[in-house]
Parts: sequence; structure tokens; C-alpha cells
Amino acid sequence: MMERFSMPGAGALTRRSLLGGAAGGLAAMALPRRARAAGDKPLLVTSIRSLSNPYHAVWKTGAEAFAKSVGAEHVTVVSEGNSEKGIADIKALLSKSGGHMVLNSDPNDTPDARPIVESCFKAGAYVVTQWNKPSDLHPESFNPYYISHIEFDGIKSGSAITEALIKAIGGSGGIVALGGMISTTAAIERKKGLDQTLAAHPNIQLLDFQVANWKATEAYDLTSSLLTRFGDKIKGIWAANDDMGSGALEALRAEGLAGKVPVVGIDGIKAAVDAVRKGEFAATITSDPFWQGGMGLSIGYHAAMKAFDPTKEPHEHREFYGQTTTIAKDNVEQYFKTNVDSQPTYDWNDLWGRVVGPIRAS
Amino acid sequence: MTLHSEQAEFPPQSRNAVGAPRRPSLAAWKTTAARRMRAFAPVFVLVALCILIAIANPNFIELRNLIRIANAAAVPLTLAMGTTFVILMGSIDLSAEGAVAIAATTLVLLAANDSNASNFGWWAVLAAVCASGFMGFLSGNIQTGLRIPSFMATLGVWFIGLGVSTYLLGGSAVRLMDPALRGLALTRFLELPLSVWIALAALAVAIFIQYFTRLGLHIVAIGGGEDLAELSGVNPRRVRIAAFTIAGLFYGVAGVLAAAQLGQSNSVIGDGRLFAAITAVVVGGTALTGGEGGVINTLVGVLIVTVLGNGMVLLGISPYIQQTVQGLMIIAAVASSLDRLRLKIVK
Amino acid sequence: MLAAQSISKSFTGVQALRDVSVTIGGNEVVGLIGENGAGKSTLMRILSGTQSPDSGTLTLDGKPLRLRSARDAARNGIGMVFQEQSLLLNLTVAENIYLGQEGEFTRFGLVNWRAMRKAALRQLGKIGVDIDVTARTADLSFAARQMVELAKALTLEDSTNCPLTILLDEPTSVLARADIDILFTRVRSLKARASFVFVSHRLDEVLQVSDRVYVMKDGLIVGEYRADKVTAPQLHEIMVGRGLHSGYYKEAQQTPPRPAVLLEAAGLGVSGAFRNVDFSIREGEVVGIAGVVGSGREELTRSLGGFLPQTSGSLKINGNAVRLASPEQAVKLGVGTVPRERRTEGLVMFLSIASNITLANLGSVMANGIIDHRRERSVAKEWLKRLRIKAPNVDVACRKLSGGNQQKVVLARWMTAGSRILILDHPTRGLDVGAKEEVYELVRELSAQGVAILLLSDTLEETIGLSHQVLTMRDGEITARFEAAAGQKPAQVDLLRAMV
Repeated sequence: MMERFSMPGAGALTRRSLLGGAAGGLAAMALPRRARAAGDKPLLVTSIRSLSNPYHAVWKTGAEAFAKSVGAEHVTVVSEGNSEKGIADIKALLSKSGGHMVLNSDPNDTPDARPIVESCFKAGAYVVTQWNKPSDLHPESFNPYYISHIEFDGIKSGSAITEALIKAIGGSGGIVALGGMISTTAAIERKKGLDQTLAAHPNIQLLDFQVANWKATEAYDLTSSLLTRFGDKIKGIWAANDDMGSGALEALRAEGLAGKVPVVGIDGIKAAVDAVRKGEFAATITSDPFWQGGMGLSIGYHAAMKAFDPTKEPHEHREFYGQTTTIAKDNVEQYFKTNVDSQPTYDWNDLWGRVVGPIRAS
Repeated sequence: MTLHSEQAEFPPQSRNAVGAPRRPSLAAWKTTAARRMRAFAPVFVLVALCILIAIANPNFIELRNLIRIANAAAVPLTLAMGTTFVILMGSIDLSAEGAVAIAATTLVLLAANDSNASNFGWWAVLAAVCASGFMGFLSGNIQTGLRIPSFMATLGVWFIGLGVSTYLLGGSAVRLMDPALRGLALTRFLELPLSVWIALAALAVAIFIQYFTRLGLHIVAIGGGEDLAELSGVNPRRVRIAAFTIAGLFYGVAGVLAAAQLGQSNSVIGDGRLFAAITAVVVGGTALTGGEGGVINTLVGVLIVTVLGNGMVLLGISPYIQQTVQGLMIIAAVASSLDRLRLKIVK
Repeated sequence: MLAAQSISKSFTGVQALRDVSVTIGGNEVVGLIGENGAGKSTLMRILSGTQSPDSGTLTLDGKPLRLRSARDAARNGIGMVFQEQSLLLNLTVAENIYLGQEGEFTRFGLVNWRAMRKAALRQLGKIGVDIDVTARTADLSFAARQMVELAKALTLEDSTNCPLTILLDEPTSVLARADIDILFTRVRSLKARASFVFVSHRLDEVLQVSDRVYVMKDGLIVGEYRADKVTAPQLHEIMVGRGLHSGYYKEAQQTPPRPAVLLEAAGLGVSGAFRNVDFSIREGEVVGIAGVVGSGREELTRSLGGFLPQTSGSLKINGNAVRLASPEQAVKLGVGTVPRERRTEGLVMFLSIASNITLANLGSVMANGIIDHRRERSVAKEWLKRLRIKAPNVDVACRKLSGGNQQKVVLARWMTAGSRILILDHPTRGLDVGAKEEVYELVRELSAQGVAILLLSDTLEETIGLSHQVLTMRDGEITARFEAAAGQKPAQVDLLRAMV
């Protein structure tokens, strides 16, 4: 019995490596080795964490839209949360493309950015990173190939939805907050934004802060427990992302409170946008993954085609916060029309139009 | 599986004569009593937990909160019913999250939704439960047919389920728009949401299977010793396939309830549920080695886990230490219900 | 009447049964005796359908019978009470009795528990015992479980029209004397409704309960007797068969022991197992202990290996008084045990030969807390040569070795660990003749090197052949001591008298 259960090497086998293996690995295999030729269009590569979350799914559509607009070949590799795999896939593509490649990467984990950037630099491929990088890793150190790093200001987002929530409940009363996974930067920053804004509004009382690990299901259960503890005192619910926000909304709905207790979230997923339209969400915020997917590649593509020289760009084009959009009652219909019902059309040549400022040193 | 060989080699000296086993010796009575105590340990834990929380925050015993607890327990209970049968056989089932994802996906894609035009209503529910049941059937066949340990077989099926549902949903969350199906979570009967009644029905079915059917007996027998059961004429292959299929059907119902509660399905709708289910089964006192415990234990286990989650919020325990408390609770509950003296080797 | 004709069966190179024919008449108790490895269990497994013969046929009342499973056998009225009890401890008595045969109480998959319990009570009534059918089997005594097994076998009466044959495979090995008597009474009273095959190596018991006795040896039936026409010593003679030829046990190589006493027990006891055991082993001496199951000899050896702490008396090792509390301590004091179940106790099967050999004495191959694999391998190679272990190299996993070579690896381990006292617990069990001879040769060599050996063996013949001194045990006490110097070996009959 026991013998059948022993599985040498099973530790290395995770659900992510199994799932991802099929997607990315095969994509890398199938590509023919290509030689670098001047004027030849570079291979466009999108490296993201997974396809099973709506955020990255939209990211990929944006990337594809851009690739189509310039008529270049595009490949998406998915790390499924496995850093080694994410890096290995990128290396495989670098060698297949002979370095004639543009990478737009959302590294699976902060430390991953370094090996990714270093191998692109060595291969002479242009790279843009988003969201995660070590604070001592700078594009200027890898001229000209590491062009830019893009983030979105979590403090600002956390603060913006707090403002929207306060406005929705009329400036006073109690709220509860649902945070993301404790150790992630995004969770910490968004909470900081919450705390900063609340400090300026003494009439708002934060009844409790709970952690729902970014998940709708956990938010659902926590919200019903919070309703027991605070009952009518809860005037609004703050969620660090839309998934948790919609979990909380469904818990409210089960108690007949949907639309009566406003919810706010971040990410701008479809369910949240719908909820804003129906008046059940007060607001959500989007970093516009469609833009992220397309523009990351566009910046790299333009550099690779020598349309601009990264080394001549100012620092705030090399490491910057991108612009976010708050979707609330007043602009939701417009947003819905342009971004949900149809694919947005962006000017992919407007490389720096959404730069709002350099990234804070942490 | 060699737990009892020691006893065979050293028969206790002070043994009763064969004729009078009805009047057990004091020592025998003590071991029986100790076992009964252990069997009820999870109930004591649950009661103690409830009393402590109620003292600290009387809101806990408000009807409204009890209903919320029941609502929160509905999905885990249905899910854990399925897992119980597999664990009773001494196997393990990791496919729950994949099966839930498949069921929820099938449901939202066939019922009215915001992604395609289908609107099959209750047929979608049937299809969802059957799809998940098929996953269980697959697990059972992979395990018995290819002779792969259940751990790996169900791990594989988990990924298959997750992969297929990711593919079908195209990575996005699809929302359930059929009001009748949403009603499973939103409509109330006698104060309780329909999902709670469905979970109770699932419990009744599980009790029925375990305690009143031949299949239930055979599942427990296989957990006690598959080779011995086979010698007695039990067909382990058939029983295993049946048990995994039944587990899949329960996961399917759980998936439908989860989608109805959240009003949507994405491929990660099952995330975190597998561990919750196994925890509930084990905390309830069902042995991972099989043959001991059952669905009633699991009911207690699910309630312990749910009440604990609810209670920690009510007591305002910092989210940063909630997980630690949960971990301690699991160890305490298992430690109190295990007959550790009989375990020769602990793996 | 159940009959087996010319049954042969072999397992990877070992001929377990050769042209065996037996008949079991109606309402008859047939005894089947033989040493371990004589083929009794294989024959029983073939009769009960769990194994099929390579050649030969079974017949039931003259009609040919093919059994493919235990279920098949049950359908034809053949039930088996297994040596290792086959009851599921987590089920109730009633559930156990009818497990796999719930048909008559089941409708649409639903079991009528009340009817089942009532029927189970009736079955137990047949053998005249009063056991709570709703009790968990784990709570029953061994004797009671044996009765439940018997009752379970008797359910065949209801489910088949065939005459009943019940195979009892060593049913007495876990029972106390009083319980054995009760069992025999039941068997005799049940003779009116069934035939029995009774397998045992306790000759007196077999004679006590059987009408007719078959003697098996090396896979052959070597004798068939009416129980009232033969005595236990006679049976033993036949069972052991082969005349003692001194060469087999390398008697010529037997060297006299040296005077220094390595291990000395005085009044040693473990409550409930054995008591007042006095003996000593000198350097280079082989002391054999003979006794039937339940004589306490197994517990004695376990106690000396540190597995079963002594509860009375004293023990001296190398002249120092010690109390062995754990196997680890025993190893430190130089006592190594070569256990009977090599697979489960003696070797870590998936580790290499080299790792297994140095396992008990890692210190000798460690440098700065790290295992020096080169040293480890060179130590192992040395032993490979010295003990003639047949393996391609020392990196081979032990599970790939034959039984005899595995046994040698265990020995090598203790020699590396510097053990001066070795407990050999059935060292030749499961080995073929050639491998046995090699083990005998090893025992001689070790003894010549001054190692003190305590020997428990499967056969009397082996015990006598290898030992310098033989102690016999019965009911937890030493009953006699026999000197067994080369050329002056005691007779088996004398030993037997002291054993039973």
C-alpha cells in the first residue's frame, strides 16, 4: 500500500506547472527559429500569470489588438504562478527568435523581473515590465533594452474608491473593509490609501478590516459574519478588488441589502462595471488591462523599430505610474459603451499619454 | 495496514473465555468508553466553541446569524459529503475544486448567462451535476483501471477540470442570469435560503447511502481492509468507482450552489474549497486511513469550521492571526479524536 | 466429498506443491501437518480458490471444480477461516458475518439491518456462542473473533446446497489453551453439518481433533494416517523426514565456544510472556531455543533485542548489568537482531546495499557530520566479498536482492556496527535450500570469530544442527537444556517431549 503512494519528485509537481506546461511550453516549441534581419518585425511576446482570471484575459485581447494593428506575430506565455516556468518560457522564446523580440511582462513575482530583464538584455530583446520589479532594478541600468516599468499607484486607487464610497454613503457612518492577501504589495498599498483617506474623514468609522485573500467566496462568508457583528451599522463595504467586492455584494443580496449598502472595488471587471450601472457598486477603478497589454508591446515595438531611443527618454518615462480610470455612476454608461460593448480603440503611437508621474521610491 | 499485527503476536494474557464476551472486563470497558469519548470529541469541541463565542458576543446565537452560518455551511457541507465517502475508503480525493469548477461552468454556460444565448433552465443544473459526476466516475476508473493511487488520479482530474473550465470560460467570469437558479441562493423557505435546504437534502442522501445501503457498508469495509473485504466477496473495483462517482455528484451539487450564491462562475470558483472540505472531514473525526467515521462526523466537522470562521469575525480577532487559530483548532480537534496509542507508525 | 488430484504449483522457481492429492470426506475432520514451507498454506489457498494450481484438478462429489476466487469457492460450499484473521475490525460482528453476502437482506441496494442481525445471531447460535452482534469486532477478544470467523464460514450452509467444507488455517496459533479446547469442542459438534480441514504444526492438537491426518513435506504428501493409529513423535519423525545428515548443517565446521560469557540472563521475565529464564551465551557459542508458538521464545528474543522491555530478573552484557529499554540501546551494547520479517523490519528496501550496511553505524563513515559515500561504498564492498553477497554492485537497492542475500546484508550491517551478540530470528525463513546452506556457513564463520548467537529457527532439525546448546521452552518457561556439541547432537524426540 505504502509503496504505491511513494512518489519521488512529486514535490515539484504543482497544479500550476501542469496547467501551464500545456499552454506556454507548446507555444514556444512550435515556433520556427528565425534569423534577425533588419526591418523584419520583431516577435511580440506577452508574459502573464494566467488566463483563468478576467484581468489577464483582457490584457491578452489588448496585446492581440496591438499585434494586429502592426501585423506582427504575437505569442502569449502563461506562468500559472510558477516563476521558474515563466522565466524558462521566456528564455526559450529568446533563443527561438534569436533575440529579435519584444516582451511585455507581468512578472509572476517581484524577484522574477531580474532574470527576465537580464536574459532579454543579453539576447538584445526589448522588454517592458509591469506591476512587479525589485526596487533596485532600474531600466537605465540595462540600456537600451529595458525600456520601461509601469505600475499603478495602489495608494491612489485605494484612496479614490474610499472617496467614492464616502460620497455614496453621504459623508458619515460605518464601513467594513475586505483586504487582499496580507503579504502582497497591492494589498498593502490599497489599504494604505484607505487608511490615509479615512484619516481625513473623522465622521467615517472603519468598523473592521478583514482579509478575504482576493477571493469572492471568502468575501461572501466574511460579509455575512460581519453583518451579524455590526448589523445596520454597516453603511458601505470597501473591497481591495472587484472579485471580493462582488462576493460581498452577493452576500448582501442574500440578505436583501444589494443596492442599499454600496460596495467599492478595484480592477474594473465586467461584473463590477455592471454593478455600478445597477447602482449596487458605488465605484470601481480600472488600470485598463487592454491598454496595458497593448501599450506595453507598443513601447517595446517602437523601440525595436528604432522609432525612438530609450536612452534619450526622461526617467519618468522609464519608471512610471500609469493613469487609472475611476468608473462611477456618472461615467459608467460611457465606459460601458467604449470598453465593454466594443473593443476600445487607442492610438498605440501615443506612448507616454498615460504617464502620471515617476514611481515612489519605497 | 499492519496496525493489528502486533496484537496477533502477543495475545493479551487476561482474556475472557469465548463464552462470555458480553460481559466485558473492566479494561475492555475502559477502552470502549475511551473510544466512545473520542467519537464524541468533535461534538464537544463544537458545543464548547459555540458556548464560548456566544458568551463573548451574544449576537452569535441570534436567529439571523444562525441562518447565516447555515448559509455559509451549505456549499462546504455538500462538498464534504462527497469527500467523506472517498476518505472512508482510505483514499483521498483532490478533484473537488476541479469538479466544482466544471459543474459551475456547465451551469452558467447552459443556463441564461451574459456570455452566450443558451437558456436551458433546470436542465443546466442536471447537466452540471452529471458533468461533475462524470469527473468522479473518471477518477474511479483511472484509479482502479490504471492502478494509480487515488492521490495522483484525482490530482490529475483536478487539473483536467480546471483546464477544461478555463478553456470553456475563456478565462473570464461568466455571470448567471437565470433568476430561478439565482433563487437557489436568494429565495427563502422557512427563513432559510433554498441552498441550505438542498445541502440538508444532500446530507440526508449521504446518511442514507452510508447507513442504509449495501454500498455504504462496502465502502466502510474497504476502508477497514480492502484485501479482507475482497476475500469476503466485496468487489472493490465496483465500490471504488461508485464511491468516486457519488463524490463527483455531490461536488456537482456544491458547484451549482456555489455558482448560485456568487451569481457567476469563473474557473477559480472552487479555489480553497478542497482544503476546507478535507479539513472538515478530518476535524469531524473521520480517519484519513479509512474505515472510521462518516457523514455525520463530517456534518459536525463542517459546523466546527464554519462556526469558527464566523466566530472569529464576531470576536473581532485580527485577520492576521485567524489562520493561526484555525491551524491550532485543526490540530486540537484531530488530536482529541484520534486513538494515537493504536497508531504504531505515524506518517 | 472434496478431492484434489495431482495438484502442482510453483512460484518463481520454487516448487511449492508437487503432484499432491488429498480427499476430504463428508463429515470428516482432516488434519494437515508439515513444517513451514512444506506447502500447507499453498494447498489451502488452492482449495479456497484464492490461487489456482499450475496443473491438477479439484473435484466436488466427482464433478470437476474450477475455482477462480474466494467467491467461487464459497458458492461451492468451501469456506476458509484464515490464519491472519480476516475480519474487518471496524465493522460490527453482524456486518462481518454477512459481508459480501448481504444479498438476502438487500432490496434495491437497501440493507435490512434487523434481519441481518437476527440471522447473524442464529449463525453464532450454531456454534453455541453468545456474542453481541452489534459489537465492533475490534472490541472482541481474539478467541471470540475466531468464533465469529467460524460463524461466517458457516453462513455458506444457507447460501449453497453443496456439502460444507471449512478450511481452518492454523486457527489455534493465536489462542490460549482454554480457548483452543472450546474451539475443538465446537468443531467436533459441528462435524455433523460440515467437513473440516485443520492445518497446524502443533501435532498434539491435530491428533486431538482430526479423524485422519496428511503429512506434507517439501511440497509432497509424505504420509496419510488415521489419527487413532499414530502418535505425535511418530508424526514428527515423518514430518521432518530427511535423516539427519551432519554435513547439511556444516557440523564439521562447528567450533567449540570460548570461555568468556557475553550475555547472561538470570530470572529474566516479561509479564504475560515468559518468566524465570536463566541462560548464558559464551563467545562463539550458538544457543538455539526450541518451542512451539506461545512458548514465549519469540518474546524472549524480542526482549533481548530491546523491543520488549523486561519486567523482572536481570541481564548482563559483557559482564555489566543492563536493562534494555529500546532497540537503539541494544545496538549500542552490541546486540544486533536479524529479524524475521526482513521486508518490514530488517532492511530499508529502497536504499542501496551500501546504505543499509552502514545504517546502524553511520558514525564510522561520517566525516564532519557528512556521510562519506566513498568510505561507505568501500566498507560495503568489503562485506560483499566477505559474505559472498550476490549483487552487481553496492549501489543496488536491497529490494532487488534475493532473500538469502538480503539476509546477508542485515548480517553485514550488524558486523559493521561491531555487534558481538547476534539474535537470529528465523534466519532461513523463506529461503531456498541453497541460500539456507549459505546462511548455515555464515553462522559457523561468525561463531568461529567469537560472535555469540541466539538462534530461533523454523525447524527443530536446524536448531539442533546449528547450536552448541539447545534450550526448550514451554508456556513461558525453560523446560530443558541439551548440549549439542558436534557429533553429540540430541534426538529430536527428546526435545519434542520437553516442548509439548
